[in-house]
Amino acid sequence: MRWRPFALAAALLVYPLLFRGAFYQDMGALVLIQATSASAWNIVGGYAGQVSVGHAVFFGAGAYLPVLFYELWQLPLFVGVPAGIAVSLAFAFIIGLPTFRLRGHYFSMATIAVAELVRLIVSNSGFLGGAIGLMGPARPRGWWDLVFRSAVPYYYIFLAVLGLVLLATWQMERSRFGYYLRAIRADERAAKSLGVPVSRYKLYAFMLSAAFTAAAGSLYIIKTGFIDPESGFGILVSVQMIIIAALGGAGTLLGPLLGAILLVPLQTATNTWFGGGATGLTYIFYGGIIMLIARFEPGGLIELWRLRIAPLLLRRRGDAHAP
Amino acid sequence: MLLEAKEVSRAFGSFLAVDGASLEIEEGEIVGLIGPNGAGKSTFFNCIAGDLAPTAGRILFAGHDVTERSAEAHARLGIGRTFQVPATFTDMTVLENVMVGAFLRHPERAAARARALEILKRTGLSGVAFQRARGLGTPGRKRLEIARVLATGPRLMLLDEALAGLTPAELQGAIALVRAIHEEGVTLVVVEHIMEVILGLARRVIVFNEGRIIAEGPPQRVVGEPAVIEAYLGRAHLGRRKA
Repeated sequence: MRWRPFALAAALLVYPLLFRGAFYQDMGALVLIQATSASAWNIVGGYAGQVSVGHAVFFGAGAYLPVLFYELWQLPLFVGVPAGIAVSLAFAFIIGLPTFRLRGHYFSMATIAVAELVRLIVSNSGFLGGAIGLMGPARPRGWWDLVFRSAVPYYYIFLAVLGLVLLATWQMERSRFGYYLRAIRADERAAKSLGVPVSRYKLYAFMLSAAFTAAAGSLYIIKTGFIDPESGFGILVSVQMIIIAALGGAGTLLGPLLGAILLVPLQTATNTWFGGGATGLTYIFYGGIIMLIARFEPGGLIELWRLRIAPLLLRRRGDAHAP
Repeated sequence: MLLEAKEVSRAFGSFLAVDGASLEIEEGEIVGLIGPNGAGKSTFFNCIAGDLAPTAGRILFAGHDVTERSAEAHARLGIGRTFQVPATFTDMTVLENVMVGAFLRHPERAAARARALEILKRTGLSGVAFQRARGLGTPGRKRLEIARVLATGPRLMLLDEALAGLTPAELQGAIALVRAIHEEGVTLVVVEHIMEVILGLARRVIVFNEGRIIAEGPPQRVVGEPAVIEAYLGRAHLGRRKA
């Protein structure tokens, strides 16, 4: 079991060297962004079981702030990244305080409402580019603008950030914080009775998750150099994080990464096959995945493996060894 | 005095579930809380545990006024409770469940783990330490709840029908466990339907009926009191007994 994460890390490191086509390298970078945002969502949505459907707020803030700084003061995009993270932390605090008084579906609905509100406000704010959005530097003024022709440099920057997020999640999983979050997900009342400061820990998880989601949004803007309200704050942005995490396994360390590795290429493929003529298809596709996960294995693919497939294989192997 | 409830009342809308209940519990006691269904003992219990705030009255624990304090503050002060319907963290292993409790006094993972393992041994759960709690049967879950609370290092443990639904053989084991916990110096309040358990454990019982405490004293004496028999079995039965 121990070797698997290392094998995965090695595969991710050599991927752009093996797949040299621009299409594959672009897709690889996209997989990493989605894996980063889904892993970030996983902290509060998976481990703590608080299904936020408004994480686009943080993704959007992470994407908009750098490009806003460029628009206002011509600063390189990466300068705005800490600002995006800071704004997201503040948002998480402000949103989390009232919404965590709600439980289950009500919490989820409240987060959708907040995200939609933010999207509408941004769409109608001239200084944020309104419905059209904002653009980063069209031509690099120096290396600091981080504009590369190939996707490979982005790929490795994104991989480093994903690595940081996963390392932090791993640390969290092994600490009191992680245990408390899982206890909160399982039974809030019981957790409280054991001395878990439930409200405080939910808020911490939400803020940590928001900061990492903002980082993913910043990666997005650094690579694409363009953001509009829909791709920053749209509900699909939030839904995608949830589906990717849930498909791989919400509340597991590598579930979201696994989900992104499976789902993003599939999405790219369907987009290529059906072209622009079937934009609504994405929603049908997402709906189908949600239904399948909810019906057959709410724990996602990792849980499916652990609980059903791995024991089956072990038994087979055991049979083969039997005389 | 470890726990003191003064004229505690709790209303739900116009319904008064607990009506001015007062009691005092000394350190080192085992007190049984009994009464027919709907007598208000669970509501009273939840008030002591910090799960429900009383609508009137005060509750003092070891000198602190805990009336308005949260459930987690109760745990920090040393009041632990189990749930009538076991509320184990089903996706976590038995060990992890107990570690959540142990983290309260041992913030470091290694220390919490060591403490949890020690408690699993004491509660006879070592054999299933690495199983998920989901896989445990009712007796196992009830035992796990007790273990989890024990891990928080309580001075007062509130057991809400922790022994209900066990077979006679399991019951003996569970009673032995509760006795062992008591011998280590933990004060216990036990809500229970099974008279056998109360008679076997408690030196003092408090009988609830219709939100009020109607009798209090040694179990053998209390179960013979007319008010108690009437509360449990109805006036007609009382008449028959007298005849």
